[in-house]
Amino acid sequence: MYKLLFQQFLRTRACQLGLTLVLILGGISIIIGKQFLTDQGRLADQATQMQQEHIERNVKLHGDDLSLLLYYLKFALLNETDPLAGLSVGQSDLNPGVQRIRILALEGQKYDSDLVNPTKLLYGNLDLSFVIVYVFPLLVIAFMYNLFSEERESGTWQMVNVMARSKSKFLLGKLLVRFLLLAGVMLFLIGVGAVVLGVAADTAFLLFTLTALFYLIFWFALCFWVVCLRQNSNVNALVLLTIWLALVVLLPAFVNNYITNNYPLPEALSTMIKQRDGYHVKWDTSKKETMEKFYEEYPQFANYGFPSEKGYSPTWYYAMQHMGDVESREDSRAMQLKIRSREASSRMWAQVIPSMQAQLVFNEVAGTGLDDYMDFLQYMNEFHENLRLYFYPMIFSNSEVASVDWGQFTPEVFTNSNKSINWTKKLGSLVITILLFSVLSIFSVRKLI
Amino acid sequence: MRRDVLLLVARQFWTSVFKSKAIYLLLGLTLILLFYAAFSGVSYHEQNHHRIEHQQQARESWEANPDKHPHRMAHFGTFAFRLKHPLSIFDFGVESFTGNAVFLEAHKQNVVNFSEASYSTSLIRFGELSMGMILQLILPLIVFFLGYAAIVADRENGTLKILLTQGATWKEVLYGRALGLFGLSCLFYLPFVFATVALLLMESYTADVWIRLLVILASYLLYLFIVSLLTIIISVGSKTSKNALVKLLGIWLLLVVVIPRTSQAVGSFLYPTPTKLEFRGAIEEEVIQFGDSHNANDPYYNFIRDSVLEVHGVQSINELPFNYPGFQMYVGEKISTEIYVRHHKELLDQYRRQNQLTKWLALVNPYLGVKGLSMALCGTDLETYASFQHQAEAYRYELAQAMNELQIKHIRANVTSSEGKVNVVDREEWKSFPDFTYEYPTVESTLGSELLALISILLWSVVALGMMNYWARNASAL
Repeated sequence: MYKLLFQQFLRTRACQLGLTLVLILGGISIIIGKQFLTDQGRLADQATQMQQEHIERNVKLHGDDLSLLLYYLKFALLNETDPLAGLSVGQSDLNPGVQRIRILALEGQKYDSDLVNPTKLLYGNLDLSFVIVYVFPLLVIAFMYNLFSEERESGTWQMVNVMARSKSKFLLGKLLVRFLLLAGVMLFLIGVGAVVLGVAADTAFLLFTLTALFYLIFWFALCFWVVCLRQNSNVNALVLLTIWLALVVLLPAFVNNYITNNYPLPEALSTMIKQRDGYHVKWDTSKKETMEKFYEEYPQFANYGFPSEKGYSPTWYYAMQHMGDVESREDSRAMQLKIRSREASSRMWAQVIPSMQAQLVFNEVAGTGLDDYMDFLQYMNEFHENLRLYFYPMIFSNSEVASVDWGQFTPEVFTNSNKSINWTKKLGSLVITILLFSVLSIFSVRKLI
Repeated sequence: MRRDVLLLVARQFWTSVFKSKAIYLLLGLTLILLFYAAFSGVSYHEQNHHRIEHQQQARESWEANPDKHPHRMAHFGTFAFRLKHPLSIFDFGVESFTGNAVFLEAHKQNVVNFSEASYSTSLIRFGELSMGMILQLILPLIVFFLGYAAIVADRENGTLKILLTQGATWKEVLYGRALGLFGLSCLFYLPFVFATVALLLMESYTADVWIRLLVILASYLLYLFIVSLLTIIISVGSKTSKNALVKLLGIWLLLVVVIPRTSQAVGSFLYPTPTKLEFRGAIEEEVIQFGDSHNANDPYYNFIRDSVLEVHGVQSINELPFNYPGFQMYVGEKISTEIYVRHHKELLDQYRRQNQLTKWLALVNPYLGVKGLSMALCGTDLETYASFQHQAEAYRYELAQAMNELQIKHIRANVTSSEGKVNVVDREEWKSFPDFTYEYPTVESTLGSELLALISILLWSVVALGMMNYWARNASAL
């Protein structure tokens, strides 16, 4: 029977059209993913090459003054791109993957955004996660909405009634045929994507695939329940499309608007101003005061003493710069906290909205979510401090430029290692919704027969 | 066409729709969405308060500076906070993806930072709920739902035959139903018009804003007109009501979900943009060609210095009647700014090329037409953002050069250091340099850059009318 059901379904126009569409979009999405990874790789190469040239040129130009040289020198920090990012680009197309940092006040450099076309960002990425989250459910709907009603509307239900040993088995058979076909296509696309992008077969990839699969099952369960409610095809199509619209367009937009309004970030602006004032105003205040504050932060340098109130001193200059960060620290921290709360809040909402859950898990395993970017920024603080603590004593003691081994300063790569996968948290809510709709379907199938 | 018959058919359609409870449900849901979208729009716009406040705060600390060397002030710099257009409450456009604050200082063109998206979770990529979005995306679906069976169902159950034998012409039936459907869509649309007008009336805005609103409202009206006609056309051209519905939903998905994303992806693929490293690198390279204006021994600037000395007939810069380092920086700023502005324009042009395919596709996709027009008129498109960047950069340049001029004029010739309270300019000068203010592009210039979208909407109205007339002649009642 399955073979016949398969053949019958494969002959329908909806099936042929749907599969062609999803294969084309899937293909495009993999090409786009590849392009994205290539761009990221190119960026990393450029950063490495540039850093070397940049240091060489500036050492030549300002070889007689270490403190002046370090005013110009930029040190690159790269955010490592996981190949999975090609399948789920997430926010990594708008948050910079590389930041070149000077040892001056960090707050003024940290948030420097990338050059991106805002219109492109608005329309969004056509990556495989988009195809999975948006397009596959549409195919499920197109394949399922008349699963039962078409038999009734074309008069074949009576025949099934007479001929089939079990009517529920017949319906489940039709369901299974459609599911196997779509699951097969989805796994095929993910597989091709993985090979093309060079994704490692690790737990992250497994989680990605399972999430996609469970999300697909969720849609099948939901659609099966709706079609077993005995409505005609038109009503089914409308109801299912409305649900789709609610799940992948309206609810996420609802939640996003809510989060944006609930966690406004004026701190971003005040951090900017405080950072500037914290540093610049020190040009006009007592040098001793600035140095005292600086030594409070770093007592290990207290033995460098206080410069004369008249004239310029490199020690004082870098202390002033650091004051920019110190005086904006409170606002900066408040901002970090709020951003983290934004992420936490969307994760909470996602627990009850499968489309959001799928997208957030995809981004999380691919390392392209907001949290990953925040981890990168947090690491940037460390990176910056390490550089400063390395150079401070040399600047303060007026060391020779030549005494530094400049070759060691290749771009540093940040790898987010503190990630553990909590399987129940990631997949639990999807499994629960699947179970819920399966149980509901069982009840309505019974009534149907 | 007889007017009374037309109205009769329209009214009959209207009452048949109101017989079902679904219409009340849909109206209720739309009103909830409208309420939420309007609320979001207003509270997004409220961020202007933060921005104005911070602009003032930044200004206060600028003015609070004591007597100083002007070059210190050039680096003290100031900020430009981007203000949202009053109409951004209606359509968010690219608002959330564009930067909101930029630090303006001498020698350095900083990027505009802190876009809403940069600290949003990836949910923002699902889209945002604005009044414009509901009208562009959701309302057509509602119209499809209300109208997909308008003709085909009557044919299926035979009432169409009766209607035609009673003396109504095909034209009257088609246009009557279309009128009824369009009337219904207006019923859904009106609350949006009232809400927007009411919200805008709370503040006093210039005529420019109201003209923009008028064009926006008219173009949405045309859009709904097109959508209504299209529904009737598909309905009359389909064999069964199921076919009509599936076709309409397919069209919707294609026009609203598939085409926009794909075309933007293709555009970006065809016209790659430089990475930030490449962009900055290219500018730096060109600037270095000229020389380093901070370096007193740079060959290019040595040449300028020698010619200046010659003109004034003196041996060293110390004998000049003005501060030479200030003059050198003035020249340097001019050169580096010209180079930056040129590169930035090239970058913007590349963005425009990336968007071009999507803009042209408006000719076959009225959704893209109305979306583009709406964004542009609401001051939330790329061009409006580009105008902000442009003005902020122009202000930055003026600020840097004003400080250089002060240095040239008031700092003694032989002074090279900017430290301390010795070589300073009176603090009154800081106050007399005006603060940054942003001017939105005028409605004329906006409409000029959105001609294609305007044509798209008008063209589609004509095409839809033509197709209606075609079916009025060729439709069959069986």
